[in-house]
Amino acid sequence: MFTKFEHFAATSLMGSPEEAPPRKDGHLQFERDWEKMAFGVAIALSKQGHYEWEEFRQTLMATIAEWEATHELDDPEWDYYQCWLTALEKLVIASGVIEAGELEAQLTQLLNCKAVPDIST
Amino acid sequence: MPSNYPGFGYLPDRETASAAKVKALESLLIEKGIITSNTVDTILGHFETKMGPFYGAKLVARAWVDPAFKELLVSDCNAACQAMDFPDGMSGAEGEHMRIAENTPEVHNVIVCTLCSCYPWPTLGLPPYWFKDPTFRARVTREPRVVLSEFGVELDDSVEIRIWDTSAQIRWWVLPMRPAGTEDMSEAELANLLTPEAMMGVATVKV
Repeated sequence: MFTKFEHFAATSLMGSPEEAPPRKDGHLQFERDWEKMAFGVAIALSKQGHYEWEEFRQTLMATIAEWEATHELDDPEWDYYQCWLTALEKLVIASGVIEAGELEAQLTQLLNCKAVPDIST
Repeated sequence: MPSNYPGFGYLPDRETASAAKVKALESLLIEKGIITSNTVDTILGHFETKMGPFYGAKLVARAWVDPAFKELLVSDCNAACQAMDFPDGMSGAEGEHMRIAENTPEVHNVIVCTLCSCYPWPTLGLPPYWFKDPTFRARVTREPRVVLSEFGVELDDSVEIRIWDTSAQIRWWVLPMRPAGTEDMSEAELANLLTPEAMMGVATVKV
């Protein structure tokens, strides 16, 4: 019963403290710029039909469960958006939006400070 | 224990790696024409400007200083939204049928969605995680006084508690009581006192 995909997507994550994105006073709480980008890209790709939002949700939950299975619950390295990014990476490749090699190549190029199209504008 | 997933490694430069990975992903998607440089801003902007507890806070603060506006807010929440200088569409879509329940010295209101997690997005923003928790939903209807006490809201036994089931049809939220000692405050100062929890009925407004 949502008229906006964004609302549906965000609400469907609100089932548990682990699964839900950090927020404060009713706002999404982002600490780093890349979190915002990862959040927005995940929603945008599902909104465009590259994968079902439920697939993203399940991948995110599985990623979080993997973290919890291999770390202490109070591990200070815990990072919600790190899991989010891992889930997003898995899904963009699994759904064929991009090839695994493509992302690696782009990353290498970026880390080597080679020419990357200016995306800041 | 080493993890199978490189993203989980304890890299000293994990931050740099994550930022670079997101940037690589974004630039690749833009190159492929799947997203544009504005796509993410538009989505984030939707969360930041089209909904948020500041809208609810502004409505309540106005109602506290303007009795006629309060009457409008209680009788026709959407008309009250339209009377404010909010962005277009604010009172439509998800907030189509909003209603507000007014707290008084005799009656304290709490909202809950017993079916799922219907929530008055446009005025309160994103719901806290426990709003969707089955235990909260079940307990607040069964033993509201105890649950409220756990939230730090101690009500006199004479105060009647009303639970409003916010649904897809009617999205309820709460008009809290104006706290004592705020007589000299401006509307903007009053708005700053309000929290989403107060407008859900699980907190009182503190000065």
